[in-house]
Amino acid sequence: MEKTIIINIGNTIIHIEESAYERLKAYLNEVKHYFANHADDLEIVTDIENRIAELLTEQLEEQKKQVVDSTNVNAVIAQMGRVQDFDTVEEGEEEPVINSTYQHQYVEKKLYRDMDDRVIAGVCAGIAHFVNADPKWIRLATLLISFAGGFGILVYAILWIIMPKAKSRIERMEMKGEPANLQGFQKNLDEELQAVKERLGEVNKHAQPIFARLGIFIGEFFEWLGRFISGTGKVIFKVIAGFIIVFGVLFLLTLIISTAAFQGFWDASIYEYFPFSIINEGNRGAILFGAFIVCFVPVLALVLFSIRVAFNKQAINKTLSFALLIIWLAGVAVTGYQAAKISSEFKQHAELTQTTDLKAYPVYTINIDKSKYFSKEDSVAYHIDANNRHQIVVDDFEDGPFVSPNHIRIDINKSETGTTRLTQKYESQGKTFQSALQNAQNISYNYIVKDSELIFSPRFQLRKGTIWRNQEVRLNLEIPVGTRLILKQDAYRYVNNYWTWDCNNRENDHNDYSVWIMTDDGLKCVAQLKEEALKKEKLEQELRDLDHLQQDKPNDTLYQDSVSNRIKEVKEELGIEPEQ
Amino acid sequence: MIAENTQTQMRKGILEYCVLSIISRGEIYASDIIAELRTAKLLVVEGTLYPLLTRLKNNGLLSYNWVESTSGPPRKYYTLTEDGRGILSQLDQTWQELAYAVGISQKGANS
Repeated sequence: MEKTIIINIGNTIIHIEESAYERLKAYLNEVKHYFANHADDLEIVTDIENRIAELLTEQLEEQKKQVVDSTNVNAVIAQMGRVQDFDTVEEGEEEPVINSTYQHQYVEKKLYRDMDDRVIAGVCAGIAHFVNADPKWIRLATLLISFAGGFGILVYAILWIIMPKAKSRIERMEMKGEPANLQGFQKNLDEELQAVKERLGEVNKHAQPIFARLGIFIGEFFEWLGRFISGTGKVIFKVIAGFIIVFGVLFLLTLIISTAAFQGFWDASIYEYFPFSIINEGNRGAILFGAFIVCFVPVLALVLFSIRVAFNKQAINKTLSFALLIIWLAGVAVTGYQAAKISSEFKQHAELTQTTDLKAYPVYTINIDKSKYFSKEDSVAYHIDANNRHQIVVDDFEDGPFVSPNHIRIDINKSETGTTRLTQKYESQGKTFQSALQNAQNISYNYIVKDSELIFSPRFQLRKGTIWRNQEVRLNLEIPVGTRLILKQDAYRYVNNYWTWDCNNRENDHNDYSVWIMTDDGLKCVAQLKEEALKKEKLEQELRDLDHLQQDKPNDTLYQDSVSNRIKEVKEELGIEPEQ
Repeated sequence: MIAENTQTQMRKGILEYCVLSIISRGEIYASDIIAELRTAKLLVVEGTLYPLLTRLKNNGLLSYNWVESTSGPPRKYYTLTEDGRGILSQLDQTWQELAYAVGISQKGANS
């Protein structure tokens, strides 16, 4: 199928195929150019056109065709002869002279977008043709000015809109400045720029064309985007796919190895550490397996998909991928079931308290000992010789994702009974109250009372084999009013209900302790109390001085006013109600 | 190249003379002139003929009539004018002289 054009040549209507039309048009242009300077050019060209029309009509009748094609046109041209052949016959003095006006009239180079040599829309290639340069330099320049605030992109878009596509052969010839048999010429750049300006003016003048041009622009832009994604984009996707394949395979290998490692260290101590200590012993296999599948299958699928993208090859068939999906769902189900099961074991809460009355002292010291204390069975389990005094295990674990949350909390309160009392509260979750209580009982915690010094271990331990069920240890120390408390700095972070960092001895910042006293209003920082007392004393002194001052100059109202104002201020600060 | 140039010069003059001779035999259409020239092995393309005919017509040697055609546009049928006939008879004479000259040149005066 080919597009047909109806032409009027020599007053004859002829249907002609597009490609044939281009050929014929080019030929007639050559002929016109050739006779342009001839005195009788119009007549000659008309004669030739008439003859061509006649020849074409004859051919159509002969071949019983409706439409002229390239063969017909070629035959006509062969009979009429090329322009080059005319030269040899015509007389010397009448040979057409190619002068400069003639060139401008017919061989003007025009600015078109070169659709045959385009990267985006052929703008750069078109400019390159126009200025006789290699398109790559124009492209490079465009790219460079694109980095200058996107200016180049704007210019490109505008040119894309203004410059028409070189569609026909003639237009392509005009774009390249190579119309038949015409020699090189000097391009009049100004003239062409003027033409571009005019075109821009036209675009502005008429709304219709600019909408049409914008339509063309948008259409072509998306066409280009499509080509980009299926062309350059494909390459990018393939590169990404390659990365995914490499890293995916590495990940899968790591997953297999680590799963095997977990499986291998079945009884290893890793399960004593958070968060692995959450998992019940009997479920470890199932959870490990489930988690493995849940992680493994999607990554495998991603890798397979990437292989498909990168190599255009189906890595596995549909049955196999369906089976993978089933396996993955099974893994999700197993993991979900286990997770639900574990979370159900946090349902009930139980706590266990143990109260110890301490000997009465006027001053107590609270200290933290980072050495680990072990229960008797743990000592045996960890092969610690209880008789070897030199062997001290120091717990230097810092907080981190894999450290179980086993800090103790210390509360300090006023004793109502007048006795010093330490309450240890062990809390835990469990599936039933019974199991929660059991979990709480499996907390092993130690502190030492050395005369008036209370030495706490910062962390509690879970007896070996105990799973983590949000166990907590809270210590409540009750001391009578008037008792002093020395808090060592190590203990600050474990004290729950006071902001202990505020009470640093201001005169001597280097102390690693702070002194507190229990009052009716709770624990007070001694250093702060002292400071407040000092301040109060100063104010009272000032008040007494002011009283004296008030008796001077009884008639000076201004003086009296300022003194009584100050008295009011000081009394307010002291908390004394102003007299009515 | 030199031969080509000379051939061109020769053909140019002769072509004009031949065309006038062909037309002198009666009213004739351009493509028929071409056909006759082809038969005479004086090979030219049709494109060459039109400028020649136009020039001869404008010089008053030829005139033409429009004749309706069954295939395509009306055709120009050329005839010689009186001037044309006069010129042609001059050319006939010139040709005789030239043929003689060529004959003498080639074979020698005594043969």
